[in-house]
Amino acid sequence: MTQSLMMLLILSLFLGCACWLIFMWAVQKGEFNDVERPKHRMLDDDDVPPKQEKQ
Amino acid sequence: MIGICFHCGAPVPPGMPSIDGGSAGTLLFCCPGCHGAYLLITGAGLDDFYRRRQATVDGPSPAAFQETFDDAYLSRFVRPAGDASAIDIIIDGIRCASCVWLNEKVIGRIPGVKEARVNYATGRARVVFEADTVTPAGIFSRIAELGYRPRPYSETAREEGARREQRDLLFRLGTAFFLTMQLMAYSFSLYAGYLQGMDAQTKEYLQFFSLLVTTPVIFYSGRPFLSGAWRSVVNRAPNMDLLIALGALSSYLYSVYQLWAGGEVYFETAAMIVTLILAGRLLENMARRRASGGIEHLLGLCPAEAHRVTGDGVEKVDPAELKVGDLVLVAAGERFPVDGEVRKGTGEVDESPATGEALPVLKSPGDPVIAGSCNLSGTLTIACEKEAADSFIARVARLVEEAQSRRAPIQGIADRVSAVFVPAVLALSAATFLWKYLSGHPLGASLMDSLSVLVIACPCALGLATPTAMVAATGAAAMGGVIFRGGDVLEKLSRIKSAAFDKTGTLTCGSPTLVEILPAKGHSEEELLATAAALEAGSRHPLGKALVQAAQSKGLLISHYPPLSHTLPPLQGEGRGEDRDNGHLPLPAEEIKEVAGGGITGLIQGKKAVAGSPRFLTAQGVAVPTDIIIPDRSLLVCVAVEGAMLGTIVLRDRLREDAKPLAAYLERAGIETVLLSGDRVEAARETAEAVGIKEWRGELSPADKVETVERLRARGGVLMVGDGINDAPALSAADVGCAVAGGTDLAVESSELVLVKPNLERLIFAHRTARRAMNVIRENLVWAFLYNAIGIPLAMTGKLTPIYAAAAMALSSICVVGNSLRLTRSSKA
Repeated sequence: MTQSLMMLLILSLFLGCACWLIFMWAVQKGEFNDVERPKHRMLDDDDVPPKQEKQ
Repeated sequence: MIGICFHCGAPVPPGMPSIDGGSAGTLLFCCPGCHGAYLLITGAGLDDFYRRRQATVDGPSPAAFQETFDDAYLSRFVRPAGDASAIDIIIDGIRCASCVWLNEKVIGRIPGVKEARVNYATGRARVVFEADTVTPAGIFSRIAELGYRPRPYSETAREEGARREQRDLLFRLGTAFFLTMQLMAYSFSLYAGYLQGMDAQTKEYLQFFSLLVTTPVIFYSGRPFLSGAWRSVVNRAPNMDLLIALGALSSYLYSVYQLWAGGEVYFETAAMIVTLILAGRLLENMARRRASGGIEHLLGLCPAEAHRVTGDGVEKVDPAELKVGDLVLVAAGERFPVDGEVRKGTGEVDESPATGEALPVLKSPGDPVIAGSCNLSGTLTIACEKEAADSFIARVARLVEEAQSRRAPIQGIADRVSAVFVPAVLALSAATFLWKYLSGHPLGASLMDSLSVLVIACPCALGLATPTAMVAATGAAAMGGVIFRGGDVLEKLSRIKSAAFDKTGTLTCGSPTLVEILPAKGHSEEELLATAAALEAGSRHPLGKALVQAAQSKGLLISHYPPLSHTLPPLQGEGRGEDRDNGHLPLPAEEIKEVAGGGITGLIQGKKAVAGSPRFLTAQGVAVPTDIIIPDRSLLVCVAVEGAMLGTIVLRDRLREDAKPLAAYLERAGIETVLLSGDRVEAARETAEAVGIKEWRGELSPADKVETVERLRARGGVLMVGDGINDAPALSAADVGCAVAGGTDLAVESSELVLVKPNLERLIFAHRTARRAMNVIRENLVWAFLYNAIGIPLAMTGKLTPIYAAAAMALSSICVVGNSLRLTRSSKA
């Protein structure tokens, strides 16, 4: 009983840590720098993107 | 070849939509947005728009977009990014999400560009590219071809600091948040264990894990509070930070001891208070940054290089190297690097950054120019009058720096409460210890009881009382179009005793508008207006502009004087031939002479035309009829050709419609109102009486305004409302400076309260919000004290059972937060 409790506690801690690391990574990457533009981005019609079009 | 967009006049990049316009030939569009706008306008049967619109009010001249970019100079701004290079670019002219879209797409498609991201809020692009495939100059000229103006951007130390601070706060809050979530799971298990029974082993495990997750929350996330508390101890000024640190540390230490002694722990109290207050700080920080979004843009107005005229040509120099008296060449499309005086050339200048004036101003030799304004047409040679470090932009920058370093004390009221509360609680805690110890309790138990007084007294309710209310109120206000810069402004606004108003542009619309046209016998309204407008076409005078605007709105085409050859179709063009036949359409006037404070004279088709005040016309030898009925507060412009009156035009600077309700509201609220005007005393009196303001002062210089505001401050808090540069010092001097939307940037920067819409009724809303927020804060504090009044005696006598303490703490926090949230709900009005 105490054994499995201990395991679960440690497991939950690891899960929390994983979330925390993802968050830190996101902050570091500047994911929260612009919260205005991304919501418009989904409205862009991204027709077949002609990557590296020759001018 | 580059075509011109039929809708907006910008150069058309290849691959953009076009329409067969029948007889008009192929219509080209610069972007899908303009194409869509065209379809919308014509679809609604409003084709006339394209015929009626003013053909000569162009954007910046195409020359502005054809400048070449210097790779050597731009390479200074390039940073390595992984195995590629990156550059930050400020893109002038970004106005909407489509502009962002367009730029991202077009930059992204340049061969060699790996990634292009445009930040909508700041108008800055970050471009990652391969240096051997494409050069920065290539990217810049591509953006310029689109009709936007790119400028390299490098972060100033202050901006970098602000960004670091924000990220640091986010790190701390994120950490606290995740750990507190973990902690809550353990705490709830412990609560359950307390009620239902739990074996000692499990309890110890859970308590140990609680300690594990709480420690970083206190000592990493809570460090700003701990260091703030330490400073306040050193300064002997108890403040909020001390209160928070005291609460968090005491419950932490108490719990550590109890963990060791096998009692109940309160780790969640310690972690919770740190987390919640950090969240409040982050929200407040974000609100402040939002309010000052315009600053970066303003500072970016100064060009990074200047062209100095030397004996044998022109050299590129850093604007900082310019000395007073140096001659500087400013080409069309460039911004002025320093304040100066025009020596050679004529051109239109966009002074909107400095004056808020949307229409370009004509500059000829002898006229002053302001650093940061943009030369739209023609090449100007200016003589430097102030060094770059002293220029308008630099002065604004300094003001901004000052305003921002005046670190907004989040809650004056909370600090004041803490100053009394903290010593009182410390005294109670010490008294408990002495009393217990002296009455024979063991040392450890006495210490614990005294600590429990701190635990129960300090935390959440009191700590949250003001920040939550202020965040809720400023958030709701921002939604309603009022930006409070910092929570302290709420408090100051709620207790103002007098309100001072600027006249022009604040209580009035700022520019005269046409009221009536009174043509003399035998002349038509159109003829009268068109003649006046032709004379005033190049005028910087507000009256002149109003006349031109009125003429435009009546569909009369005005030609600029002097003609701007490269932005205009030739004046003698065929397209205008038929207009001329109408007889009353304006013709370009020549030999224009403006007499300051009087009027304007010129030649139209060789005939001498005069427009101006009745007195000016009389002086010019025109017989002005004396029987004109003049409505109140209006301005007259009489027009005559060859000595014969064409008629009179009546203009007036209209009062804003919401000025009266505002004055009435302030009077009901018991706030004195004063009008401070730079205008004549008589004009100030008339406006004051019309609005219902009791006191007025006229003919005030900016310094006089400051003095008056200072005098008013002796009687209590002062609110100053203004919009111009001349109001800026008074705005800073007042307890609460309020800038109206559309005011100059300088005014906005000097203000603590900004009305996003030019609507004075927002001020009523702001004042009500501030008062309500203060009420909520008072309620919160009363509740927190009530809770303490019950909790502290229990803790002192050692009768505080853990479950009661936890429940009471949670309940008090919920009450306080819930009460504060009421502000967001009912502020919608």
